Amino acid sequence: MIALILKRILLAIPVLLVVASLTFVLVRIVPGGPFDADKNLPPEIIANLNAKYHLDKPVPEQYFLYLGRLAQGDLGVSYKYVNRTVNDILSDAFPVSLQLGTISLTLAVMIGVPLGAIAAVCRGRREDVIAMFLSTLGISVPGFVIGATLIFVFAIELRVLPVGLWESPWHVVLPAVTLAFSPAAYLARLTRASVLEIVEKDWVRTARSKGLSQWSTVTKHILRNSLIPVVTVLGPLTAIVITGSFVVEYIYAIPGMGRFFITAVMNRDYDLILGTTLVFAVLLIVANTFVDVAYQILDPRMRLED
Amino acid sequence: MTKSSDAKSDDRYLIWRLAKGLGQCLLALLLLVSILSLTACTKARSRFEPGVLRVNLGTEPPGLDWHTATDSTSFDVVSNLMVGLTQYTNDLTCAPSCAKSWEVLDDGKRYLFHIRDDLRWTDGKPVTAYDFEYAWKRLLNPATAAQYAFFLYDVVNARDYNTGKLKNADLLGIKAVDAHTFEVRLSKPAAYFIYLTAFCVSFPMRKDVVERFGDRWTEPENFVTNGPFKLTRWQHEYKMELSANPHYFDGPPKVKLVKMFMVPEASTAFALYENDELDFIDNRSFSTPDVERFRSSPEYKNFPLLRANYLAFNVSKKPFTDPRVRKAVAMAIDRSVFPRILRRDERPATSWIPPALPGYSPDSGLKFDPVQARALLAKAGYPGGKGFPKAELLYPNRDDVRLTVEATQDELKRNLGIEIELVNQEWKVYLATVRKDAPPMFRNSWGADYPDPETFMNLFTKDCGNNDTKWWSPEYDQLIQAAEGELDTKKRADLYRQADVMLCREAVPIVPTFLATQNIMVKPWVKGIAINPLDLQFFKAVEVGGP
Repeated sequence: MIALILKRILLAIPVLLVVASLTFVLVRIVPGGPFDADKNLPPEIIANLNAKYHLDKPVPEQYFLYLGRLAQGDLGVSYKYVNRTVNDILSDAFPVSLQLGTISLTLAVMIGVPLGAIAAVCRGRREDVIAMFLSTLGISVPGFVIGATLIFVFAIELRVLPVGLWESPWHVVLPAVTLAFSPAAYLARLTRASVLEIVEKDWVRTARSKGLSQWSTVTKHILRNSLIPVVTVLGPLTAIVITGSFVVEYIYAIPGMGRFFITAVMNRDYDLILGTTLVFAVLLIVANTFVDVAYQILDPRMRLED
Repeated sequence: MTKSSDAKSDDRYLIWRLAKGLGQCLLALLLLVSILSLTACTKARSRFEPGVLRVNLGTEPPGLDWHTATDSTSFDVVSNLMVGLTQYTNDLTCAPSCAKSWEVLDDGKRYLFHIRDDLRWTDGKPVTAYDFEYAWKRLLNPATAAQYAFFLYDVVNARDYNTGKLKNADLLGIKAVDAHTFEVRLSKPAAYFIYLTAFCVSFPMRKDVVERFGDRWTEPENFVTNGPFKLTRWQHEYKMELSANPHYFDGPPKVKLVKMFMVPEASTAFALYENDELDFIDNRSFSTPDVERFRSSPEYKNFPLLRANYLAFNVSKKPFTDPRVRKAVAMAIDRSVFPRILRRDERPATSWIPPALPGYSPDSGLKFDPVQARALLAKAGYPGGKGFPKAELLYPNRDDVRLTVEATQDELKRNLGIEIELVNQEWKVYLATVRKDAPPMFRNSWGADYPDPETFMNLFTKDCGNNDTKWWSPEYDQLIQAAEGELDTKKRADLYRQADVMLCREAVPIVPTFLATQNIMVKPWVKGIAINPLDLQFFKAVEVGGP
């Protein structure tokens, strides 16, 4: 297992290099630059700005300067938030997203997996229909509709929860539920499909014919085996949920990092775009490594392959 | 039979177990929520906190260093933390502030400011003329890379120093004669110059603080300011707290704390206002349906701003090379359509100088006259719009802008019989396109930097970097230059009026459409909120308390 983790870490370096290089090229291809604004600036001033941020140098030189700084863990400076570095911005914003994302993800797993299992066990029955109706709803209704509905019901009509902001634990409830909705629905569908597949297997029949109770059959034999696809999607899902959601952060006014995936591009804030992309890539790699470790725990056969 | 019923009861047991687990989780959550909201409720959420003003900034200010800030969010914060040589009053005259008086010498080319001697920074040190000298030199220093350095280009040698042609800052026309006298020499008389001394970029700055803390000098623990409030807390992307500055020369403000939240989504901010979690909201926190809902509320108010919207032509592109075509377009648009579709009492405009400024005349521009417009178009060779090429109108991708250009397209089709093709681009792409090679028509807007016609009229001079119409005229440039140097206010207004007529009635490179408005809602327990046409929000006179 340690060998696997080490291998992953070594592999991560070229992957990150490719991600950084591709993003670096892409942001410079997009028309418009960081200092284009409502009020056009005299060319002399643009020259001063470009010199300050090394944007006056040839692009290949900018690229190597960037990689050099990156190697030292310096993600660069923001052109929009003048006196702040990308490291500052992300270290302020990421913990908030991480906090909210972890709660949402826990919620999503706690609701989605049992819901899917219930649906599969009761295939075709009322419970199944209700569970699948809920999960179709969760997948197809966009976050801003769910968010707005929750705000309207719980904050404006019932006045039991706050509209937004990030002040106290009870400010976390509505955004966490909104953020958990779609992953929970997705996990429910996935669990259902996977359980249905496993139920048909010979060894499940064997377990039943041994006289094992339904509870033990489902939890020990069926659920454990049907969790493999669920764990597979949990990797990327974790990376997506804990880096925050633009929509949820916007409608609840939460200072997380999800918004930067959109606003940094709109502002052509080159280093911030690269910073958010890299953080996301790192988290994705870490989450996928965890997934591989989890495979080995869930399915002993995979240990042999290593 | 027994077997299948066994299996069924087994199933039921399983569902029961799973559902129980799920139920327990939800119950725990519900319990947690109710406990939390209960504790919140027992604190007896009052509708307001006396002496505390809660407002919405909309977004994180990109920076509080007033040399590198360029946007209204940053300026809204800085305007409450700092004061300059002069200060805007809400009717937009320049009142004495750090300078108790000033002299205009050498035919308007030399200004001598006399600084008050009871001024203190938030750390107790006195504010002196040296702080102004340092600040102005730093603004112009190319290493600062200040985007708004050009505001001081009228100062002797300022442009050369800022562009690196001149290395010695001592040759600038900026000098602290002694601790209480600040001298500024201009390369030409500029009647609007005094307004710049109230503008954020010209505020004083503390050399020791800036040099000691570098890029972090605007963080609350390091920040030293001289205005009615001081910055005590800054949670980036979320909230700022400004508390009353006891050292402020004009006496401390009436509220002890201003909480500035950064709620980007208008409907959320509006809901926060409705739930008494914000005391004052403006355009940033309104969506059009909200304005409709609350138009009749006594809490709602609406003010015109010095922000003009216009339709511009690229006069080097056919068919708009012909002034008759441009005039026909100007006369074919019924401006009253804009407030009808945007719903915020926008003020229709036909002249470029807004009514609030000297030089304005209701007759400067071309009025709506479809008959005359069709006649002009026919004279230009397109009777009834026949043979008129399909012209592109470029606009940035924003909902309200889309509504205005669609209305324009409709007006032109109905009144002139010509087809306009609407093209939209993302904001920065739009800016790049317009600057590089503007299409035949594009939609734009301009907000005043200071309350003087110069800020609008300078835009269409030959050398202005924001003139994307490709139109210029030596006579127009001469009029503007003469107005800049004219110290007699009446003569000066007349010069601008002549230029406005040339712009909107004779050459018509642009068609002014309407002035934007500020819409606000204020809770009944807040007194003293005032809005000025420059859209600067000063909170020092605001009171919170009482029913």
